[in-house]
Amino acid sequence: MTPPPDSLIGTIETALREPHPGRITIDREPDYLHDEHTLWSWLTTTDHKRIGILYLLSITAFFIVGAFAAGLIRLSLVVPNGQIFSNDTYNKLFTIHGVVMIWFFLIPSIPATFGNFIMPIMIGAKDVAFPRLNRTSWYIFVSASLFTLFTVVAGGVDTGWTFYAPFSTTFSNTWVVPALIGVIVVGFSSILTGLNFIVTIHTMRAPGMTWFRMPIFVWTMYAVSLIFLLATPVITMALILLVMERVFHIGVFDPALGGDPVLFEHLFWFYSHPAVYIMVLPGMGVISEIVPVFSQKRLFGYRFVAYASIGLASLTFFVWGHHMFVNGESETSALVFSVLSFAVAVPSAVKVYNWTATIYKGTLRLDTPMLYAMGYIGLFVVGGLTGLFLATLAIDEHVHDTYFVVAHFHYIMVGGTALAFLGGLHYWWPKFTGRLYPEAWGRLSAFLIFIGFNATFAPQFVLGYLGMPRRYHNYPPEFQLLNILSSSGSLVLALGYVFPMVYLGWSLRYGAKAPPNPWNAKGLEWTTASPPPKHNFETPPTVDFPPYDYRRRETRV
Amino acid sequence: MSAAAAQAPAGIAEVGIEREEHFTTDGQQVHAARFGMWCWLLTELLLFAGLFLCALIIRIMHPASVTATTTHLKFWIGATNTAVLIVSSFTMSGAIELSRIGWQRGTVRFMLATAALGTLFLVLKGYEYYQDFDEHMMPFLHGRRYALAQDPSTILFTDLYYVTTGLHGLHLTTGVSILLVMAWMASRPGFLQRHQNRIEIFGLYWHFIDLVWIIVFPVLYVLNR
Ligand code: HEM
Ligand SMILES: [Cu+2]
Repeated sequence: MTPPPDSLIGTIETALREPHPGRITIDREPDYLHDEHTLWSWLTTTDHKRIGILYLLSITAFFIVGAFAAGLIRLSLVVPNGQIFSNDTYNKLFTIHGVVMIWFFLIPSIPATFGNFIMPIMIGAKDVAFPRLNRTSWYIFVSASLFTLFTVVAGGVDTGWTFYAPFSTTFSNTWVVPALIGVIVVGFSSILTGLNFIVTIHTMRAPGMTWFRMPIFVWTMYAVSLIFLLATPVITMALILLVMERVFHIGVFDPALGGDPVLFEHLFWFYSHPAVYIMVLPGMGVISEIVPVFSQKRLFGYRFVAYASIGLASLTFFVWGHHMFVNGESETSALVFSVLSFAVAVPSAVKVYNWTATIYKGTLRLDTPMLYAMGYIGLFVVGGLTGLFLATLAIDEHVHDTYFVVAHFHYIMVGGTALAFLGGLHYWWPKFTGRLYPEAWGRLSAFLIFIGFNATFAPQFVLGYLGMPRRYHNYPPEFQLLNILSSSGSLVLALGYVFPMVYLGWSLRYGAKAPPNPWNAKGLEWTTASPPPKHNFETPPTVDFPPYDYRRRETRV
Repeated sequence: MSAAAAQAPAGIAEVGIEREEHFTTDGQQVHAARFGMWCWLLTELLLFAGLFLCALIIRIMHPASVTATTTHLKFWIGATNTAVLIVSSFTMSGAIELSRIGWQRGTVRFMLATAALGTLFLVLKGYEYYQDFDEHMMPFLHGRRYALAQDPSTILFTDLYYVTTGLHGLHLTTGVSILLVMAWMASRPGFLQRHQNRIEIFGLYWHFIDLVWIIVFPVLYVLNR
């Protein structure tokens, strides 16, 4: 055996002595990733950036589980007579998919990851207001969601993510109670995150960071936190009563015992409609960051977009009844809820117009984050417009509880929120990790996702319109073609999701080093190093400039 | 420390807070902590609101049987408890005032008095539950006969009474425990220098528990009696 050449030993020795060669270590604080190395230091951290990364890892894991269940659902729907899985298994599958995707991926997705990591930096703070509470909320999230995951996978629950009474209280013979307890506890992690964000935004802004100098992302985090704080406790109570009902038969939702099942739906949607804005508002925030950067223009109508965020967060509390048009709601309230639902479209549309106007005559760069942002705008419009169809009483009568509704909310939640999540992930990736990802692969997977998504969900509008109900896996044979189309689209979509996981992982080690501001962006987060030092800024920033301070085109020439 | 010394200026401690490193000024930290508690109370208020809403809807749906049930609730125990909690809010405010001027011993005594009143509430509540048990008013006990009308909606309202008072009792028990721990910490030197504002923040929580009871009492015991 020949001894290794000296040069190699030399390299290893230097590497051992100095784990990050080439980094100037003399006058700089180490960045947050290299400050401490042990697993223990991660698990006990109070640094909002590390907590953001912990959330990122955990929700990605849940996303994979949820996506897996979705794959099995689509597999089952390839054949019309539901031979692939038993009815029970199918019911459990869509419950796993809904519970995991909604409660453990979409709701925490953007707020808990980017909100935690980026929002404090955007306002020039050293950390969130209550760092230890922040860590606690991650622990609550992880333990409760793992517990729930265990119950829905090992035991199985067949109520769907909506837990409607009386099925969930009286008829279902599955592990409903443990799943409910898990969901209740996870709610507290949302509440604590929301509380932390509101207090942070109120009290931790850097000198000069007035409310109207805050980036829109911060505004949307504020709006979302309001919903967390005001809506989550209501569903907590509703689910507690559901548990009591199953265990002690107290009967608040059981007509045989003097209760009313529709009351559960009211309480459920009083949270869950605002919850859909928990999912979509942060996406809007991310898009409002990406679009100005890649157009190199100020965000058009900044104040309107900020007000629209708060407007959405308030209006969203008054439209829950549109989920119950055909479930025992009086005609008068149906009418009122229908009109109010139309009103919600106004602030949503304000945002879409503002993004479009920002792009208009901008200096466009179609990098990966921008591709995602443009995809988002298109798909969100489709999702929002079909929302208006559904808010129309006569149409909803026909398509309620069909695949039309499924397509509607997937256009918003997957086409909207998930795209915004990926767009934001690519946009801030250099900031998170200090590395650049391979641009060509990024663009390729953005296209794959866009195409795969539309192939999966566009046929579902047609299916629903033709009358295919949701949550069944037996369907008339004439629907098979469209279902096969949808299932094959989901393969493309899945491929589009696998790519980023691979190349982003690859870039951690082999990606080029990122400069502090690779996009020529204007937010405070781009004025500090990539990755940021432990306390975010070398010197605490002072703000004396408006948000999105891109020079006008005329002055640049 | 002798009793005389406690009243003398010698018993007056310095008041302040210990700043955590991510805050720039003391004022910022104080503001953040107080504001955070307000946010938490808002959440709690909506939690209870869900319950009150259910109780009111049950009342609207079944006015007669609910009224029949409320007459069996122990009005005078509830009323006494309301008074007990209101007095405890006063002693809590006393503790806060004294902590502001740094009179450590007075602060601790007022905190202990508050905890004692809270405990008194729980004892009275326990006695009330005992009477309910005695009168066969516990429908969730399967082995035991239920004495009120067999109409399902009376059972429903009785159950809601337990859920609501139980949840409130849980909050109060938490409050008393925190209060006892904090009183113990406040009895040691240096607490007021470093953490005086924790007493103020806890005070908000205590008043909130009081407030919730002030809503619970009419919603369950008094309306339509
Ligand atoms: C322009 C605003 C919107 C309007 C007018 C609207 C309208 C509606 C209506 C009327 C329904 C009930 C359909 C039925 O069950 O018959 C519905 C369902 C749904 N929407 Fe929307 N929507 C809007 C935006 C959103 C957003 C932003 C999201 C999510 C991020 C969303 C997610 C959902 C979900 C998850 C359901 C189905 C829930 C279920 O039954 O499982 N919607 N929407
Ligand atoms: Cu809705």
